[in-house]
Amino acid sequence: MITQRPPAERFTGSSVKRTEDPRLLTGRGRYVADIRLPGMLHAAFCRSPHAHARLLRLDTAAARQAPGVVAIFDGWEMARLTSATGGMAEMMGSERLPKYSLLCTDKVRLVGDPVALVVAESRAQAEDAVELIEAEYEELPAVMSEDQARDASLPAIFEDLGSNILFGPDQKVFGDVEGAFAAADRVVRARISQHRHQNVPMEGRAILAAFDRASGELVAHAATQGVNTTRQIVAAQLQMPLDKVRVLAQDIGGSFGLKFGASREEVACCAASRELARPVRWIEDRMENLTVSGQAREESFIVEAAVTTAGEILGMRVEMVIDSGAYPGFAPGIISTVREMIPGPYRMRALSFSATGIITNKATYVAYRGPWASETFVRERLIDLVAAELGLDPVEVRLRNLAERDQPPLRMVTGPSLAGITAKESLRRMTELFDFPRFREQQATARAAGRYLGVGVATYVEPAPGPRPETPPTELEWVRASLGEDGTVSVFTAQMPHGQSHQTTLAQIAADQFGVDFDQVRVVVGDTDQVPEGFGTGGSRFAAMAGGAALHATRRLRTQVLELAAQLLDLSPSSLDIRDGAVVGEGVPGGGLPLPELVRRANEAAAAGLIPPGTDTGLEASFGFDGGQGGWSGGTHCCVVEVDHMSGKVELLRYLVVEDCGELINPAVVEGQIRGGVAQGIGAVLLERSAYDEWGQYLSSTFMDYLLPTTTDVPNIEIHHLETVPLDQDVNFRGVGEGGMIVAPPTICNAVADAIAPTGGRVLEQHLPPQRILELMGAIPERG
Amino acid sequence: MTPIRLTVNGQVREGAVEARLTLADFLRDQLGLTGTHLGCEHGVCGACTVLLDGEPARSCLVLAVQAQGAEVTTVEGLSEGDGLSPLQQAMRDNFSFQCGFCTPGFLIQAHALLRENPKPTEQEVRLALSGNLCRCTGYQSIVAGVLAAAEAL
Repeated sequence: MITQRPPAERFTGSSVKRTEDPRLLTGRGRYVADIRLPGMLHAAFCRSPHAHARLLRLDTAAARQAPGVVAIFDGWEMARLTSATGGMAEMMGSERLPKYSLLCTDKVRLVGDPVALVVAESRAQAEDAVELIEAEYEELPAVMSEDQARDASLPAIFEDLGSNILFGPDQKVFGDVEGAFAAADRVVRARISQHRHQNVPMEGRAILAAFDRASGELVAHAATQGVNTTRQIVAAQLQMPLDKVRVLAQDIGGSFGLKFGASREEVACCAASRELARPVRWIEDRMENLTVSGQAREESFIVEAAVTTAGEILGMRVEMVIDSGAYPGFAPGIISTVREMIPGPYRMRALSFSATGIITNKATYVAYRGPWASETFVRERLIDLVAAELGLDPVEVRLRNLAERDQPPLRMVTGPSLAGITAKESLRRMTELFDFPRFREQQATARAAGRYLGVGVATYVEPAPGPRPETPPTELEWVRASLGEDGTVSVFTAQMPHGQSHQTTLAQIAADQFGVDFDQVRVVVGDTDQVPEGFGTGGSRFAAMAGGAALHATRRLRTQVLELAAQLLDLSPSSLDIRDGAVVGEGVPGGGLPLPELVRRANEAAAAGLIPPGTDTGLEASFGFDGGQGGWSGGTHCCVVEVDHMSGKVELLRYLVVEDCGELINPAVVEGQIRGGVAQGIGAVLLERSAYDEWGQYLSSTFMDYLLPTTTDVPNIEIHHLETVPLDQDVNFRGVGEGGMIVAPPTICNAVADAIAPTGGRVLEQHLPPQRILELMGAIPERG
Repeated sequence: MTPIRLTVNGQVREGAVEARLTLADFLRDQLGLTGTHLGCEHGVCGACTVLLDGEPARSCLVLAVQAQGAEVTTVEGLSEGDGLSPLQQAMRDNFSFQCGFCTPGFLIQAHALLRENPKPTEQEVRLALSGNLCRCTGYQSIVAGVLAAAEAL
């Protein structure tokens, strides 16, 4: 029987200070670039200057003679050392996979495509040698847009695919779409698009691969969101047995979806290390990171909403086009989530959805924080367009359409249950926190004075983890917990923190469940030899899935320890408890048996054969958790802006968040995740764009061109937590990593649209830098 | 190779460097002071900020030979032993950082700010830190940490 510690004594739910901070604040963190191994070599890549070209000739002779150069691998040599199959795209289950190699052999497909790997004694020497490689190209027309991808007269980027259409259009229909549109008073149509932007972690990609010829083992120190996933890809592409690849990860300088598995460059470095039997390190520089690490979000939608004059949304028709970039990536994998999630927390009963993927000469489409976020952007922008067309208030239109918990069917038209949903409460709460009628008065006064104020809201839900699947297979997240001889509890997880404070939050849960102090728990991450299976951190699955697994694993360990203690003390397990690192209870001698003493006595008893068979003396327990009853994260954001009609600059005057991410493990960590996500959303709308010219040259390859938000761009963000509806008996933590980035862009765009409405400007896109705002306001002509 | 001699975190350090070697690479690769991070290597992100003769400087834009005879303070020099300085403690108390990569630059910049202006306003903190990029936090927690440090000092 489990006795819960009283709330006042619990670590879970309080802002326990981060375990990670003492090392990170004193310069003692250890990122890949901080690790040096004896005999370590440095890698640099020779990259294509063309977006689309045949590689006719590559002359590395001069480079091979350059000082410090140890080896140069061109595409053919690398192809001999590695397998082209087994990469990330296959792991994602992409159906239509072209043939290509880690380094280019006969063709380059984007600016920055790697054609050769130089390995030298220093990074500077490797980069010097790259400059000495002579490559001859025959340029091909670049495919840079949807129209060009559909143009059969342009060359196929992958000849074996025969065209630049990666997949689709594939259509799926939910509910009675024809009936919904027949019953509509009006149909609101729009083409809404998201622009290309990207993760930009402060630390780029990085790997240090060290092959040991004696053991035949390759050890890769990686910057990764999951060591197991990285190991699978490295092993597959190097055609090595899984147990001969060990992946280690320590501190990671952010990722936001970018650092999954192993990229072509990272696998190439592993291959080079195996070939040379020396450690090889590659630290991506910022230009490489911005140009070729991966980009996201470039999607466009033709949408139609069937609505009544009262503002009820009966159904939607959606045609999506996703620009997958050059090499196979994440694009095919997100379609099903965008489709499933696009009804969001709303009652609409009909949806037709089709998606087409195109291939272009741009960086590969990667996952970026809330990769499916376009469903929220399109829906929430469309709702405001509906409100504008009907002359209704956008908040009222949302309230009219949001699902109510007591009104069946509490289910998205696409299938998922909306059990426990609090979206409507979040919007109602927002109307209490922000005085919309008063703002409308202020707005009218400001408008009369020639000032453009606007307010925007957006409401969303996020499957973190989402409702429990009604049919197997369910996916499990494993945590292993063990009790050490010093009485500390070790918790092993495949989650790989890169800013999310997992080492703090898992320890909070484990300490409470097991009955030790927070400092007595050690969270072990980042070593394929130690952590259980699992793909790693991503999809906001940490809180519910790993948190839940840790809760159950440490409970199981506790039960095991109490049973063992009961054997040793000849007492009943039900009379015992673990408190502050000791087994306590009526009849325990000396008022308590400290855990180190228990472990020692258990070992002695086991050695002496005094423990009855069947008693588990392993002092270790694992649990694979399926997310329990699951549930949604979500909420409503609200933003107030002022648009300067002279400069086109948008000032964020206020930003409010009402959110529900279940039971909070660590409120300060939760709020940090929300604010960070909102800041990325602000960047996406007002600053960031991965820009190409028509020839496929990349225009945003430095921080002077790719603008990240700074302290003066991000306002203070007011966060209000909503009380959650518990669905599970034990685990009601929900993920919170992605929501801010999912819902901030439509919130800000809706506010800007509201501000500039008097000018007739219609916001149908996500990127709203000053020039675009002035165009939309009619202040300057459209550049086209 | 050019011999250089400078004071880093109060200790005299010597080295022999190529003229093109940056101060950041010298600190990290030759002195093993890897607390100074390289986030862009073109002077924008601020992760590599160190104090050079007392003033914040981007160590990715300074050549090691230019630091000849200079006094350099890195993040490792902000606290003694295993403890945290009042600024670092305030940053910890306010959950200022997440992944930690931008952290050394912010700490150095904030340290310099508080030395010049011990009681800055929020707006002054924001302006002083506006040349440092953080991708994780949205900055509010960093600003709060600096203001709390000012309060504590």
